[in-house]
Amino acid sequence: MEFKKIIKTIFFTEILKGMALTFKSMLSPAVTRQYPEEKHPAMPGFRGLHALVVDPATGKEKCIACGLCAAICPSQCIYIYSTEGPDNKKFAERYEIELTRCIYCAFCVEACPVGAIVLTEHYEYTDYSREALYMTKEKLMANWNKYMAGPKGEEYFKKFWHPTADDYRAYDGQPMFRKREG
Amino acid sequence: MGEIEQEKLTEAAALKTRELTVSMGPQHPATHGVLRLVLDLDGETVVKCTPHVGYLHRGIEKLAENRTYLSALPLTDRLDYISSMSNNIGYVVAVERLLGIEAPERAKFIRTIVGEMTRISSHIIWVATHALDIGAMTVFLYSFREREWILDLLEMLCGARLTVSYPRIGGVRNDVSQEFIDSLYKFVEGFDKRVDEYETLIDQNRIWLKRTKGIGVISAEEAVNWGLSGPMVRGSGIPYDVRKYAPYDAYDKVEFEVPVGKDPGDVYDRYRCRMIELRQSAWIIKQCIEKLPAGPVMAPDAPKFTLPPKDRVLKDMESLIHHFILITKGPTTAPKGEIYSSVEVPKGELGFYIVSDGTGRPYRMRLRAPSFIHASVLPRLCEGGLIADVIANIGTIDIVLGECDR
Ligand code: SF4
Ligand code: SF4
Repeated sequence: MEFKKIIKTIFFTEILKGMALTFKSMLSPAVTRQYPEEKHPAMPGFRGLHALVVDPATGKEKCIACGLCAAICPSQCIYIYSTEGPDNKKFAERYEIELTRCIYCAFCVEACPVGAIVLTEHYEYTDYSREALYMTKEKLMANWNKYMAGPKGEEYFKKFWHPTADDYRAYDGQPMFRKREG
Repeated sequence: MGEIEQEKLTEAAALKTRELTVSMGPQHPATHGVLRLVLDLDGETVVKCTPHVGYLHRGIEKLAENRTYLSALPLTDRLDYISSMSNNIGYVVAVERLLGIEAPERAKFIRTIVGEMTRISSHIIWVATHALDIGAMTVFLYSFREREWILDLLEMLCGARLTVSYPRIGGVRNDVSQEFIDSLYKFVEGFDKRVDEYETLIDQNRIWLKRTKGIGVISAEEAVNWGLSGPMVRGSGIPYDVRKYAPYDAYDKVEFEVPVGKDPGDVYDRYRCRMIELRQSAWIIKQCIEKLPAGPVMAPDAPKFTLPPKDRVLKDMESLIHHFILITKGPTTAPKGEIYSSVEVPKGELGFYIVSDGTGRPYRMRLRAPSFIHASVLPRLCEGGLIADVIANIGTIDIVLGECDR
């Protein structure tokens, strides 16, 4: 026992072991992502930049200015100014989100009773000015056209609008542990 | 001896030495955020150490008072931001106990899984930064590889990597996907090998041993008297773990051990405890995945406190009204009373004390933050030691100032 300890002390065995590990990982492929060139692919349902749903039938927003998203927003950063439209319907004259204060919790998506707001998978929207991070209704609708138009937007509410009916019951094909084949 | 030399000697004897006061932090890379320590030094020995906290105070307890129970949840993400899931679970469990509802079995297992995932990621960060502070940089590079995997899994689960806001009152936000389960199982199967790697690098390293053994010694009795919890008290040989003593979620349905150090415990003992906890957490996740039952993930029998499903909101008036009331006013049928409930977060015991006055908002929410209590023991650990060991002591208490200052 003593002898082993002396050998260890003289030959730096524990340090050599560490060095061997370092050498081994030197030969294995690198895991670092070179960010600006190599982008992180956002997973489906990522909570990124906001967008207001544009109804393809009318070309207008789906939002009915009910104010639920502004009520639940934990950082109180949604501002809605509603008014009466020509067809006697309430609509949002101004719909603004202050991105600098938003915490991307997606509670607004959860709260909306008609499915009029989404969080897109876009996450690179940093800017030098505050104005660029102050989202107006027009900007939010442009976001929808840019990032969510087409089948992606249609799919969004089926999958990421919680709670769904499936959350309240056991359904067929519920994900379970399965042994790996082979 | 010449005359001049004689003169020099008397001069040196006449020199007065005095204590030097150094302010360490709040912008010091080794103080893990914005901790400020005012150190009175006598040469290299620390005579007095005074922690100053509060640089990151955001008034989370006060903010919660004018949020409904539902929308106060994301505030808890910002407590201990590297293990936000555990804080969410702590809050949700406290509110569930207050409201008297129970999450379904599947949701409990999922919460246990994600809670242990954050414990792994938090301990990984801890070992990485602690080793970096003491001078071993390689561990930092390796451990971030595993942390990245966990963060990717969390992103797959709920769309956010750090501030997750995933649990909900009465369950969790959404069900797990098959891809998530498979990938996580692969991760925990190979995780023991990764922990072996970290241990190869530092466990027997003579510099590491010199810097950690016999530093920051605290006896079991003292640790209890200081109110320490988590690995801080377990490192001194007391097997106190909220997961064992007052099981919440699915911890009473899985097997795991509570690692303890020896009495009195030092920095090295606490390091060993956390390394064993890493393996235990992986084991818990493995058991949970294997036992994961089928069923709902939101409590179906508590319609007064959980949001109605979206397809019903779109179709039926009753649900829509209910949805409106729950979001604008919160669960207004909350019983009056108060509750203290605690969970085991990676740092220690996180307690929520909530007073309810029957409205949808907490009348008062008070947090027992382990980091705050651990910061108070810093003078006891540092005084009388060397200034270089202050770094080891800050590392060993695993302090996160977001939680400490709230
Ligand atoms: S994501 Fe959260 S913080 Fe941001 S606007 Fe929506 S509710 Fe408010
Ligand atoms: S909750 Fe939906 S419909 Fe109501 S104001 Fe917000 S975005 Fe518009």
